[in-house]
Amino acid sequence: MSHRSPRPSPDRDSEPYWQALRESELRLQRCSGCGALRWPPRALCNRCRSFDAHWERLSGRGRLVSWVRTHQVFAPAYRDEVPYRTVQVALLEQDDILVIGGWQGGDDPVVGQHVEARFTVLPAAAEDEESFVLLDWAPHLGVAGEQD
Amino acid sequence: MVASHFLRDRVAIAGIGYTEFSKDSGVSTLTLAARAVLAALDDAGLSPDQLDGLGTFRVGDSEIPHVVAQALGMRDLLWNLDLFGGGSASHALVGQAALAVAAGVADYVVCYRALNARSGFRMGGTGRPPVDVTETQYQAPYGYFAPSQQFAMAARAHMSRYGTTHEQLGTVAVQQRAFAVDNARARMREPITLDDYFASRWVVEPFRLLDCCLETDGAVALLLTTPERARDLRRTPVWISGAAWGAGQTLYSNQQPDPTRTAAANLAPRLYAMAGVAPGDIDFAEIYDCFSYSVLVQLEDYGFCAKGEAGPFVASGATARGGELPVNTHGGFLSEGYVHGLNHVSEAVLQLRGEAGARQVPGAEIALSTAQPGYVSGATSALVLRRGA
Repeated sequence: MSHRSPRPSPDRDSEPYWQALRESELRLQRCSGCGALRWPPRALCNRCRSFDAHWERLSGRGRLVSWVRTHQVFAPAYRDEVPYRTVQVALLEQDDILVIGGWQGGDDPVVGQHVEARFTVLPAAAEDEESFVLLDWAPHLGVAGEQD
Repeated sequence: MVASHFLRDRVAIAGIGYTEFSKDSGVSTLTLAARAVLAALDDAGLSPDQLDGLGTFRVGDSEIPHVVAQALGMRDLLWNLDLFGGGSASHALVGQAALAVAAGVADYVVCYRALNARSGFRMGGTGRPPVDVTETQYQAPYGYFAPSQQFAMAARAHMSRYGTTHEQLGTVAVQQRAFAVDNARARMREPITLDDYFASRWVVEPFRLLDCCLETDGAVALLLTTPERARDLRRTPVWISGAAWGAGQTLYSNQQPDPTRTAAANLAPRLYAMAGVAPGDIDFAEIYDCFSYSVLVQLEDYGFCAKGEAGPFVASGATARGGELPVNTHGGFLSEGYVHGLNHVSEAVLQLRGEAGARQVPGAEIALSTAQPGYVSGATSALVLRRGA
């Protein structure tokens, strides 16, 4: 998709996440209390309630949990984009973290397949806008035997 | 486990009120609310002057109780609730009102939901920006903000994991339409077949048009009071035997990564315990059907069949007219119209009163009515209702 709308609206918790994507990295907080990764970005861990964490670069790999193909135009910006595919991915490092993203593969996604991140630049549409990078996904092109 | 079931059969639904269901009401949500509230009072044979409590739920798309109270000329409001939330809050509203009545805070409480969900604020987002919550930033930029997308995502996971088929999704729509044929209020009354289902256009794969509810303008209201007062009113009372709230996973809960299991699975055991019933005691069910899949997953999570077996259960005819567990006897959101869950409760009341006409379920004594199972909000709610005397 060439045009995405609305643009992300980072908040005080999520700004480092969006900044990492601008640097073509998937970074999440790892809890200093229990070691769990946090999703979405937020100040406290929902397992151990620690407020301490550090940002960690992840592999950008995961497994495809589900996907949909949208035909209905739900917002005017998507009038020329339909039909488009959206995927739900469980991250390799912690498979209870499920993220939504666009699909950059040629073939349709397959539930269970190994996928990897694609960092899609969303250019600034006006002078007073920032560019953004969105987290999309594509089939993982691993070498033989590396799949698991 | 609920230690004592103090609420069981302590509150009655003694009146129900409807407006017309349409694509364009031509009136404000305040007008819709007032019409439905007055209709519920009239159904019970009460004067509007006796009304002393009002509650609703909404997502910024309807009038608040105080404004409706002003319009109705209520001098005092002994109880009110303006509950933020979508369909997951629908049955929670009724449960909260029941607590207020049981506690003696108010005597005659009306719960209403009034919305211009087709001509005004459309849940699908068509023509309006996405709802502004923290999570929106992780979905909306990807073109992912409509409930149909969120439920379709879960449906695909269920189909992949358990072999649930398009035919089984379509069977939900076909069975519910067969009820709506005999419901004068229903917006869609022409019988449909699986061929019609497969001929309907894609909305969000794996959902076709006939998997999706009918965005509707309309209102429904329910009058709650004590059993003693209800026995003096015009209609056969219906007891609230169980009312429960439940939480479950969204995409942002982590720790609960299974999209094929909903908050209803957490709620169901305590709901049944409170009501003193088991799934096998339920005569019919009004199951929140924003999409066909929502019915399937709740049939499992409310214990009517094993996890993953809802597709074959529906295909067996169990949930159809004349089946062992008729489901959505008004036609549901898919055929009657989307009045956000309160029309599921009102239909259960009609059936339990024996007033459902040609679509009446024989021997209807105990009903389950459920809310949105929590995919969007992470929360759900439900009621067990029983024919009173």
